[in-house]
Amino acid sequence: MALLAARSLPAQAIGQGFELERSGQYEQAAAIYLATLRAEPTNISALLGLERVLPPLNRLGELLPVAQRAAAANPSNVALRGVLLRTYVALNEPDSARALALEWARAAPRDEAPYREWAMALEDAHRHAAARDVLLAGRRALGRAGAFGIEMAELSQLSGDWEGAAREWAAALTDAPVQLPNAASALGEAPDGQREHIARLLTDGTPSPLARRLAGELLLGWGQPLRGWAVFEPSVATPSADAAFAARRFADLAGGRNTPEARRVRALALARYADLSPPGGVAARARADAARAFIEAGDQVAARAVLERVAQDSNAPPDAQRLAQRAVVEALIEGGKRDEAGRQLASNARLSADDRASLRLRLARASMLAGELDRAEAELARDSSVETIALRGWIALYRGRLSDAHRLFLAAGPYAGDRRDATERTEMVALLQQLPGDSYPALGGALLLLAQGDSVRAAAALRLAAGRLATGGGGEGSGWPDLLLLAGRVAARLDTAQQRSALQVFDEVVRAAGQGAAAPAAELEWARLLERRAETAEAIRHLEHLILTYPGSAVVPEARRELERAKGAIPRS
Amino acid sequence: MKRREFVRSVGRTAALAVGADLLGLAPPLSSQLLIPMDESQSDHLKAYGVTYRVVQAGIKAEWLLNYRGGSFLLPDGPAIRRDAALVGVSVEPVEDARVTAIRGEIEASNMDAVPLEKAPKVAVYVPPNVPPWDDAVTMALQYAGIQFDKVWDFEVLGGKLAGYDWLHLHHEDFTGQFSKFYLIYAGQPWLAEMVRFNADAAKQLGAATVPDLKKAVARRIREYVGNGGFLFAMCTATETLDLALAAERVDIAAVFADGTPMDPQADAKLDWSKALAFTGAHVEPSPQIASFSDIDGHQVNAPARRQPLGAFKLFNFSAKIDPVPTLLVQNHRQVIPDFYGLTTSFLRTRLKPSDIVLADEEGAPWVKYINGNHGKGTWTFFGGHDPEDQQHQIGDPPTDLSLHPHSPGYRLILNNVLFPAAKKRELKT
Repeated sequence: MALLAARSLPAQAIGQGFELERSGQYEQAAAIYLATLRAEPTNISALLGLERVLPPLNRLGELLPVAQRAAAANPSNVALRGVLLRTYVALNEPDSARALALEWARAAPRDEAPYREWAMALEDAHRHAAARDVLLAGRRALGRAGAFGIEMAELSQLSGDWEGAAREWAAALTDAPVQLPNAASALGEAPDGQREHIARLLTDGTPSPLARRLAGELLLGWGQPLRGWAVFEPSVATPSADAAFAARRFADLAGGRNTPEARRVRALALARYADLSPPGGVAARARADAARAFIEAGDQVAARAVLERVAQDSNAPPDAQRLAQRAVVEALIEGGKRDEAGRQLASNARLSADDRASLRLRLARASMLAGELDRAEAELARDSSVETIALRGWIALYRGRLSDAHRLFLAAGPYAGDRRDATERTEMVALLQQLPGDSYPALGGALLLLAQGDSVRAAAALRLAAGRLATGGGGEGSGWPDLLLLAGRVAARLDTAQQRSALQVFDEVVRAAGQGAAAPAAELEWARLLERRAETAEAIRHLEHLILTYPGSAVVPEARRELERAKGAIPRS
Repeated sequence: MKRREFVRSVGRTAALAVGADLLGLAPPLSSQLLIPMDESQSDHLKAYGVTYRVVQAGIKAEWLLNYRGGSFLLPDGPAIRRDAALVGVSVEPVEDARVTAIRGEIEASNMDAVPLEKAPKVAVYVPPNVPPWDDAVTMALQYAGIQFDKVWDFEVLGGKLAGYDWLHLHHEDFTGQFSKFYLIYAGQPWLAEMVRFNADAAKQLGAATVPDLKKAVARRIREYVGNGGFLFAMCTATETLDLALAAERVDIAAVFADGTPMDPQADAKLDWSKALAFTGAHVEPSPQIASFSDIDGHQVNAPARRQPLGAFKLFNFSAKIDPVPTLLVQNHRQVIPDFYGLTTSFLRTRLKPSDIVLADEEGAPWVKYINGNHGKGTWTFFGGHDPEDQQHQIGDPPTDLSLHPHSPGYRLILNNVLFPAAKKRELKT
């Protein structure tokens, strides 16, 4: 009991030292560590503690005698030797460091540790060239050309030699393939000008599968997913657990990038991963995910081909089948096969109720955008969700039933869809409030063209609709300037000819709308279009006119910001 | 720019402005325009720009110290109204009777009216290559619309400072150790470029090393102040300028900067009589610690010494007796959140007795904002890097000041820009 108590004393004391160190009281922590070493000279925790707290106190010199005493007391202890070696280097005593490292190397001739410790200490002291020399000497002494590859790669990188770093990493991966993520992460930081050199270095000749994987991941990270996949794919051609893991990792990395090419590459990698996995749940789920990724990338044909594999897989578990069935219907809707999608929705028992409801909404939206308004309405017949109310609002709008649309949008409120959907509905409510009458089919048709992406015809139809309102005896309050402004906004985003027409439209709105809200909004759009056309001086003139003429307009803060941007006063981030 | 040119420049859209008049939108002119600088102001920072441009056009303005947050009084005119409206600055037309009432209130309170009569010519010390950080003063000047020139070592040593009324220094390390960035950013292309660029400049300008070059530049800057210049420094420039001046004949640079280790007796050899603001500081002896000396109270990049941020409070000076410090602390907020820089604050124990403390953190051993005289000129040091980015990191996007139009920290910077415009005979201290 007495012995136990005596042994626990240093342990308690050193724990107190850690606490003091954590709270930033380095002086007090150092006193505890030194006291611990007086009682127990080889206490490695106390030595390491001193190694941490003495440098910020500018008292590193005090570490040397205690580290020497510890190493002398237990010469075979690698950790104690390491502390002493690092202390010599930090105190800039190169001869002592060399002597200790070489003595250590003689005692352990096949061990990398002496050279590694020595080099890392030099690297910490920012003496990169000396650290490199030590590692090269270690390679020669050990007779292993691949030794210290990772350390050499880091040193090359620190000195800006990115190709050297890539060469070292590629060589190091042969012995340590688990380092691939670290290699990709380190080389991924290469400056733009170095990237092509690295890619070529890794892919020239007949690269090893690991070099291909490294190059593929790097190219993916540098925004070249298709090229990355082309380089990567041969490395996962032969089935193995390792190849499957690599393919999955590549798919996950591609999933972090939101471009059509990256989505396609993710789909390809998932499909390959499924092929490399044993038949059953994992493969089926991967195929369902691959199909979704193909759909997101716009490749319905590839998506369907992958899904057929799931359907044929008798080992696929129910959740994977469900995912696949959902993806099949999604692919049908996206591919314009709405009849077939409708049949699947009506008859496919493997779809869950939630999937069926959301797919029905999706089908209704697709039908609406295709101009099949009756069919869209029929799809929604048995649904009373807030999403459905919002969609019914759009259907009513495209039919030209303005008051119904207004009522339905207000009923849906901000709760349906995401923020963008809610904003679109709010903008439409604002427009509808300016328009007279309950029904205006011509406007509904124009807005449907806009939703279908036929902007040229939509702009013309909106101008026509505005013109009819104006000639129908509408003054400023009839809403025609707001409609004309919408036409201008649509045209402003099109080709040069349409942009010229947009400029005329904005001019007309500014001249005709008086003090209504449409005039300053049109002038702001006018200025923005001029800026996009590089007519900056003219844009500035309009922005200044807007700010001075309509000081109470809600768009004045936006105009001021545009003015700053036009004058180059907003920093580029 | 003269008055006629000002009117022309702000009247570029004359036709449209006339249009507004015809619509009956232009209000009738009053006697004067008050730019309030209290909470009612819609853009405090741009208000300085409006005032600067008025003074630049040769039109007299007044700075009403302590009156509604340090407001400006300008003559009324369509061009000035237009300028203020375009940039979103609130103005209040004031008739003669109200001006008289304002003057009465100023006379009876801790307030004063300082005429502004000459727009200072502004120079910002910045390397010609693009450093990967931003300079709060450059951003403030650009946002407010105040013109400035960029100068660097070639211009300073070439005697070009004499042509400027106001000089700003920011993130420069005048000890020539590249802000000790190699500790954190070794291998970064921008750091290699910075080292190469400075070494080339040293060679071209006949200095043996970069630290020698920066010391020579520091001495010229001190001469500039001695000859009547206004110096405003922030962040690292404050501390390292004084270290470079005190170390005229001492090697305080680590081996990586000049090829020789720092003089181990450096502390004892420093001549603080040559420095502007500080005295008795200890130079950091370790090249492994990202700190220059113990002048900075916060030591942001030395983890064992780093101190947390608090808030600093502006002093309330007597406007009629001490118009200079009063002018430098004009603000609509008296307590401002602190912000880090490589040099964040200044230890009280390292200040010269003649320094005027403009702002400090109550109960803390450091101060934030100081001012003093040297020869015929004046210097002001403000710790920290960016008042609206408390922990600015290299590579962070620049602060968009249109999102901070009421920034009290940036107001302090702009107070300094207008300071040299104040009529000198009115400044008693």
